[in-house]
Amino acid sequence: MFSKSKPMWGKKTKLKSSYDVVLIGGGLHSLATAYYLAKEHGITDVAIIEKNYIGYGGAGRNTAIVRANQRTQYNVPLYKEALDLWPVLTKELDYNLMFNNCGNLNLMHSEAAMNAARMTIATAQFHGVESHLIDAKEAKELVPALNISEDITFPIHGAMFHPPGGVVRHDAVVWGLAKGAAKMGVEIHQQTEATGINTKNGKVTAVVTDKGVINTKQVLISAGGYSAALIHGFLGIKLPISVLTIQAMVTQPLKPILDHVVSSGAYHCYANQTLKGEIATGAHMDPWPNYTTLNTAHYIKHQAEALSEFLPALRGVRFMRIWGGLADMTPDMAPIMDGNEQVEGFFMDCGWGYFGFKSCSAVGRHMASFMATNTCPDILKPFALKRYQEHKLMGETAALMSYTPDN
Amino acid sequence: MMNRFNHLPTLKIDTSDKIPFTYKGKTYYGTKGDTIATALYANGVRIYARSLKYHRPRGLYSMDGECSNTMMEVNGIPNVRTETTFLKPGIVVKEQNVKGSAENDFLGFIDKMDWAMPAGFYYDTMHKPAKIWPVAMKQIRKAAGIGKLSPDHHMPGKYDEIFPTCDVCVIGGGPAGMTAALAAAQKGLRVILMEARPWLGGHFEYRTSEYINRQTHHERAVQLAKEVEKTDNIRVFTHTANVGAYNNNLITGFQVGKESDVFTERYIEIRANSVVVATGCIERPLLFENNERPGVMQAGCALRLANTYGMLPGKTAVFSIGHDLGLETAVSLHDLGMSVPVIADIREDGQDPALLKAVLDRKITILKGWVATEAHGGKQVKKVTVKSVDATVSKTYDCDVLVASAGFTPLTGPLVVNQAKLTYDNHTNFFLPTDLPKKMHAAGSLLGFENAQSIEASGLLAGLKAAFDCENCSIAELGEAKKAMEDLPGPARGTKLVTAPVKGRKTFICFDEDTSIKNIKQSIDKGFDVPELIKRFSGAGLGPGQGGIPGHNLPLFTAKYQALPDIKIRPTTVRPPLVPTFIATYAGTNHTMFKRTPMDEMQRKDGGIFRNIGVWQRARYFSKDFTCKKEIENVRNNVGMLDGSTLGKFRIHGPDALNSLQRVYVSDLSKIKEGRVKYTAMCNDDGCVIDDGVVVKLGENDYYFSTSTGRAGQTIEWIRYHTRYDNWDFALVNLTDAMGVINLSGPNARKVLEKVVDIDVSNEGFGFSEYKEFTIADTIPVKAMRLGFVGELSYELHVPASYMKSLWLMLKEAGKEFKIQNFGVEAQNVLRMEKCHVILGQESEQRTNLLDIGMGFLWSRKKTGYKTVGVAALAQAEKDNTRLKLVGFKMENNGRAPKDGALIVDDRVRGHVCTARNSFSLNEAVGMALVEADMSKIGTRLAFYEDECNGELIYGTVVETPFYDPEGKRMKM
Amino acid sequence: MALTITCPICGKRNGYEFRYGGEEKGPRPDEKDLTPESWCDYVHMNKCVAGVQQEWWFHRDGCGSWFTIFRDTTTNLEKETPEAKE
Repeated sequence: MFSKSKPMWGKKTKLKSSYDVVLIGGGLHSLATAYYLAKEHGITDVAIIEKNYIGYGGAGRNTAIVRANQRTQYNVPLYKEALDLWPVLTKELDYNLMFNNCGNLNLMHSEAAMNAARMTIATAQFHGVESHLIDAKEAKELVPALNISEDITFPIHGAMFHPPGGVVRHDAVVWGLAKGAAKMGVEIHQQTEATGINTKNGKVTAVVTDKGVINTKQVLISAGGYSAALIHGFLGIKLPISVLTIQAMVTQPLKPILDHVVSSGAYHCYANQTLKGEIATGAHMDPWPNYTTLNTAHYIKHQAEALSEFLPALRGVRFMRIWGGLADMTPDMAPIMDGNEQVEGFFMDCGWGYFGFKSCSAVGRHMASFMATNTCPDILKPFALKRYQEHKLMGETAALMSYTPDN
Repeated sequence: MMNRFNHLPTLKIDTSDKIPFTYKGKTYYGTKGDTIATALYANGVRIYARSLKYHRPRGLYSMDGECSNTMMEVNGIPNVRTETTFLKPGIVVKEQNVKGSAENDFLGFIDKMDWAMPAGFYYDTMHKPAKIWPVAMKQIRKAAGIGKLSPDHHMPGKYDEIFPTCDVCVIGGGPAGMTAALAAAQKGLRVILMEARPWLGGHFEYRTSEYINRQTHHERAVQLAKEVEKTDNIRVFTHTANVGAYNNNLITGFQVGKESDVFTERYIEIRANSVVVATGCIERPLLFENNERPGVMQAGCALRLANTYGMLPGKTAVFSIGHDLGLETAVSLHDLGMSVPVIADIREDGQDPALLKAVLDRKITILKGWVATEAHGGKQVKKVTVKSVDATVSKTYDCDVLVASAGFTPLTGPLVVNQAKLTYDNHTNFFLPTDLPKKMHAAGSLLGFENAQSIEASGLLAGLKAAFDCENCSIAELGEAKKAMEDLPGPARGTKLVTAPVKGRKTFICFDEDTSIKNIKQSIDKGFDVPELIKRFSGAGLGPGQGGIPGHNLPLFTAKYQALPDIKIRPTTVRPPLVPTFIATYAGTNHTMFKRTPMDEMQRKDGGIFRNIGVWQRARYFSKDFTCKKEIENVRNNVGMLDGSTLGKFRIHGPDALNSLQRVYVSDLSKIKEGRVKYTAMCNDDGCVIDDGVVVKLGENDYYFSTSTGRAGQTIEWIRYHTRYDNWDFALVNLTDAMGVINLSGPNARKVLEKVVDIDVSNEGFGFSEYKEFTIADTIPVKAMRLGFVGELSYELHVPASYMKSLWLMLKEAGKEFKIQNFGVEAQNVLRMEKCHVILGQESEQRTNLLDIGMGFLWSRKKTGYKTVGVAALAQAEKDNTRLKLVGFKMENNGRAPKDGALIVDDRVRGHVCTARNSFSLNEAVGMALVEADMSKIGTRLAFYEDECNGELIYGTVVETPFYDPEGKRMKM
Repeated sequence: MALTITCPICGKRNGYEFRYGGEEKGPRPDEKDLTPESWCDYVHMNKCVAGVQQEWWFHRDGCGSWFTIFRDTTTNLEKETPEAKE
């Protein structure tokens, strides 16, 4: 019934002097890319280079909400594929990813927001993704703890209800993918820091690490919030990214009280109950770039104020733990996936902001195909870096922005 | 109920005052000063709860709430730490996470199933076949969680918040903290002292052993506390847990209110110049089989039960300890009447000679180099096996209490959450702070000091260092204090023992998560080889106790199991809040703030239905008919009045006023004539329109301009941002709140205005797009503009906010005969849509620029050299014919309007509806949509896909705009 | 973290009084010389330095000035000069 206690992602091996493919970053996008390189393309001479340990960054810090109710037709199919992959991966990896498809309830606090939600819902339905606009009373039936009275700061008009979404156990995905990739021969080198990429005649030749130089013709940087700094540092490529700290927190564990993921843009707040019973909540970012992952007094208080209003029963629960992670934000809230464009053999998968978790499975699969065939899959084409100079922001956020993504 | 001592000097209870409470449906009595846990203990309760996973019985262990053992439901509030919560009359206490009772829990059998639940077992189970997972998940959810909370729970009490500042903030009101506070205060500094317990004194408070010269520790604590309390410049917050510490010395905590306080709890956020952390130590749990069986407790817990709460923990206590506090506790409890058959001391030597003598004088057996290896007894301790540390010799003793404590754990939480670095120290066996943040100092027993004088001296030094940070202390004084420390004993040697010699199947490193040391070994074997990963995989330290129990032992054990050198022993991460804190407490007063216009009250009286729009509250409707038929028809046929006060209103003047406007507006403003209104727009660097409004020239380099409601708050920073390199000279004033705006619209608008003003308001005297300044009744100064947002004859009257009410009433009175009525924001939305006037963010979005939404006429291409924001992007994007374009459409066959947000589709999404309505004015359905450029030609058929349409499309056609009064005769009449 | 920012006019204040305004990139380029690449470079692209960077801040809840400071993005602490390292 139980796997024996042996190292899940292989014994520690020595870094070799060359690999077919090097993936920088031991997070979910790298792990998924490695997994699919091996599984679907037979490319197993792959090294994952991770400075700390796998899942140290955003992979282990996000609150693991998954959904496919994005705003535009470029994003919805990608996230839908990712959503559909959770049960498939659970089986393939023989590891329980604990997908709880409890549904997401995105609260709307004005008539205008209800209309905006309608576009998103129509987009989902057009692409075969279940999503509905419901009124405040129906929302209350789904989440009895909801305060639908008029006398809160942002009274609830209704919600966008997206039944197939939910929560996955993020650590399980990290460990499961690592296990699956390692089984097929991928090497995971933790405590190994990439310090540079060598190029010659516009082509990648090697990755430099603190444990030695690795000759390779293909390298992917998908290091979450650290990607932009690495890409600029290694190759001088600037990106339209701002790296912000995003925080999340959990309360003490409770018996079931919240059966769905609830989120609110107006309150800058989401909440869901983990399988352990904790209420996990977060959302807001401190609007200046930094790499500290430090939490703030301001934020935990803000979160309490928000929850106090729309889920007032939670006033009787205690916060137990808050932490921070990095979100690499782009101006259009959509990622940058590109390859063989700036430097031959160089691929990037970054700018995910806080969407990196929910997309990882599908993106890993397509990035693997991109790297294996040197042909960009159609589904990734709209996400190229060039769109910014072509004045083609993706419209994933409708909001008009002022200066930079941090504002 | 047991008899309580009433003669000890250290007591914090009043045995004459009985307090009734309900537990398991029956009435019990505690004593004033009791915590809920001590009141239950006095009533014979030993099992307070069952553990999360295995449903093991759990009892009083530490007294400071480091684990979930005594968490109970109190008055409907789950997970209350009963050992730190005062008993109050009438409270209702319930057990949690039990089937049956804590005493007889039907789920207790799970304890025997541990073999089936190795670390991380859930990842390897319940997913095959896939269909069992949803069923299993339901059961997991039910089994997980500890407390129950009703979804309609109403949290009683009042929650407050304060944000004080001070020179020095001292965290911890024990001997070191009090000494530090006094030292800083004596330098004239403003000091805040926060202490988690309800009283000052720390570990001196409850100890009757000798401090110095026959003074007891307790007496010394009282003496210091008195000094602190009489010092005016020390503000003391007791019963105040420190929960966070952030860089630049922001310290947060929460205070539990006393009966006399107006608050139940209050959030405290302190900005201090310098901080002293003197939080002391907790005890490091001893690891052995059944180390959390009720009856097993730490030394401080046993001693405080007696000295603070006046009761003996039991009849017979066996001790397995590794420090002098353990010996001291044994002597004290013996003297109070407990039988102490044996003390197993982990240490071979190094005991305080006086204490050793006291132990021997009392004929208590002491076994040096021995340790408890197993507690026996199903629900409570009945017997204990002790062995020599090398496990060669073994003895068994009967008892009902086992005092077990391996050593001390420093409470470095406030230091590490503020990014102090900790390093493992072999001498103390502590993780000691080695790299403290600026202006943060550590003092007291958390540095390893056990000697009372050393503790106080370290407090004095830290207090002076803090004073030095505030430039109130000389280097010489610091030197003296440092030197004084050198003459006193340094940090004490700590015991190294990590676990008793056991296999560890029922040796719990984390009580909250039922993580045994066997589970830790399993984790490491699976490749989770750093404490941070072990935590995640095994759950150790992730429970409500916030790592208080496993925090120190987990890294020590991990290092031992992997045979790591000292230098590689790393502590686990500590995260705030350092003490679990109610959401109600963090929320504090939880105020909401919205701006209200000067006409707020009058519109409410007129039946306005208000909505929050940005920072404002605005009247959106004036009847329950949300189609606003009456409001709309009244504007089209008679005259309506709209409160436009939320519009941004600005004045800019000075030599570079025009330059600045030219930088941000796309039109050429050098051409505006005085007395005319210029409608124009601002773009961002992408060419996306972020604001539109009108500019009026008041004089040379003197302009008055309006912005949309949403941009009012950001306009000054926007203009100053885009001119920040230019060193331009201009003054820019935000008049948004100073001025109100009334929009008077409809064919009768002139007739109404005529009655209240003296100037000529005929079309010749005050034409479309003109601007006038005048006064009404020689008093009210008005800036008036003729605009046409809603497509009718309109006057926009800008007047000082204080006159708004008067003017409003005057217009209302004058308009009576012309059927004047209020109209709200939604009616305006429909009226302007019929004219195809855009609302930014509604008909525009991030993907559209000025040209895309048909406002290209505002861009003055001839204006160059101003580096106008957005025009470079407009010029570059102009040639692109794949962009979204704003179009007007009508529905086919007199069909209904599509819903806002409906998609325009063919085999893919081609655009979406921005606003569409069944127009009362036009008697047909019209709307505006953003579509891809190739679909923007007049006559293009549009297929609308609405949510829940099940593939049933409706159709419309792109038509010329505007829909209503295309020649604009009505607004120009 | 509890960011503080030193405003040249108002002194050291709570960071939440301010608005961040991006990396220092130099004065606005003249629009006529801009190619899509150079436009994009100025408007959107960042270096995302993990270390000390010069950056713009606006004192929103204060005097209303725009100014630059040096800040270490790995500690969130202000620096006197770009070179200063802890």
